[in-house]
Amino acid sequence: MKWRHLIATLRILFFALSFIVLPFSPSLAGSNPKPDHQSSLIIDADKQFDFAQHHFTTQAYAMAIIEYQRFIYFFSEDKRVPLALYRIGMSYYLMNRFQEAVESFEKVIHQYADTDLSVKSYFMVSKSLLGLKDSGSAIINLHNLIALTDDVNVKDEANYRIGWIHLEMDSWEKATVFFAKISPHNKPKYRLERLSAELEKVKLLPKKDPEIAGLLSIIPGGGYLYCERYQDALIAFLLNGALIYAAYESFDEEHYALGGLISLVGLGFYAGNVYGAITSAHKYNRSKKGQFLRKLKESSKVNFWVDIENQGAGLALLWNF
Amino acid sequence: MKMTRIDYRTVIVILLLFLLNGNAFAGQKQKIEKNLTTTEPDAVLVLPIQLYQKYLSKVDGNRCPMEPSCSTFCVTAIKKHGFLLGWIMCSDRLTRCGRDEEKISIPIWINNKKRIYDPVHHNDFWW
Repeated sequence: MKWRHLIATLRILFFALSFIVLPFSPSLAGSNPKPDHQSSLIIDADKQFDFAQHHFTTQAYAMAIIEYQRFIYFFSEDKRVPLALYRIGMSYYLMNRFQEAVESFEKVIHQYADTDLSVKSYFMVSKSLLGLKDSGSAIINLHNLIALTDDVNVKDEANYRIGWIHLEMDSWEKATVFFAKISPHNKPKYRLERLSAELEKVKLLPKKDPEIAGLLSIIPGGGYLYCERYQDALIAFLLNGALIYAAYESFDEEHYALGGLISLVGLGFYAGNVYGAITSAHKYNRSKKGQFLRKLKESSKVNFWVDIENQGAGLALLWNF
Repeated sequence: MKMTRIDYRTVIVILLLFLLNGNAFAGQKQKIEKNLTTTEPDAVLVLPIQLYQKYLSKVDGNRCPMEPSCSTFCVTAIKKHGFLLGWIMCSDRLTRCGRDEEKISIPIWINNKKRIYDPVHHNDFWW
């Protein structure tokens, strides 16, 4: 009995000692009140911004948006917050998420008016709206910028951009009006002399008159032939000829139901031949103008490159020799 | 005048030939432009095309060189512009299918096959 009692006492003592000694043991996690400076890192504004910028420059735009948002949240007093907002807009733009890009750039415009970034954001709102195929709103936005700014260079750039939007919209005369608004000292910068000379060539573009195409289609395929669609012309001629002949034969043989049905189908194809010829003339003109515009862009357009590093506005000059 | 038995047969054969006009009408049912509704007279013309898409085209295969296929183009045109103009645009498309359009329209690749992109809005943009 004595031995048992002794053992029980020793066991209690052992556990009691364990509870007293163990908390002071250095091997226990969390027992060290000093932080481990070698394995921990304090993120400051610079580090967070650099990290966001790293994602942005490596084109990981979705990650860049998150990191720039984190930067804005934790370092809202930092002077780079407007730039972070602008970069969020740029990230959305480069991801072709134009609606969100517009919203981000508008935040910069409203929160940081009268800054360089605000001007840049105006231009980017227009570019994003063009991405949304809303040319009208893009032009209105640039007009707003012209009305708000006193900087002649900014006004000139806005007019130049409006001119090009009109060119893209096939409004050649309006485009010329806006190019003419650019101040004389900036005209060489935008190479307007060359652009005007190229624009004169619009008058020399080959055209097909839709009315003539429609009239020529009285003879099936004639309109397609006029629009240089030779295979379509042959098919239209043979198909319509065959249907007209089949309808004539059917009525001649007193198969009126058959004749009526063939006539119904034939009338559709005949009207389709007229409609198709008119459409083909329009398509021909549109295609020629599109080709001309592409050449014009390659030879005369001053491109404003996408501002990745935000080191100032850039102009890219293209010249075909 | 009474319609003879031959008349009926010929009508059926012509209708079948018209529907089976392989290359021209071939093509699986594709996504049709959004927000288009069909009125009852239009549905009369759309129904055979949809039946064709559902039963014949699946067997026949998607062989139309245009995108959207002629059958989808026709359904869209009828839904967008009604029976008469839809039928005219449909006839025009069947005439043009896969030839000179290649020179003027944008090529696109679907399942590694080159198609000529010619939707309805490329044919009614001018009015």
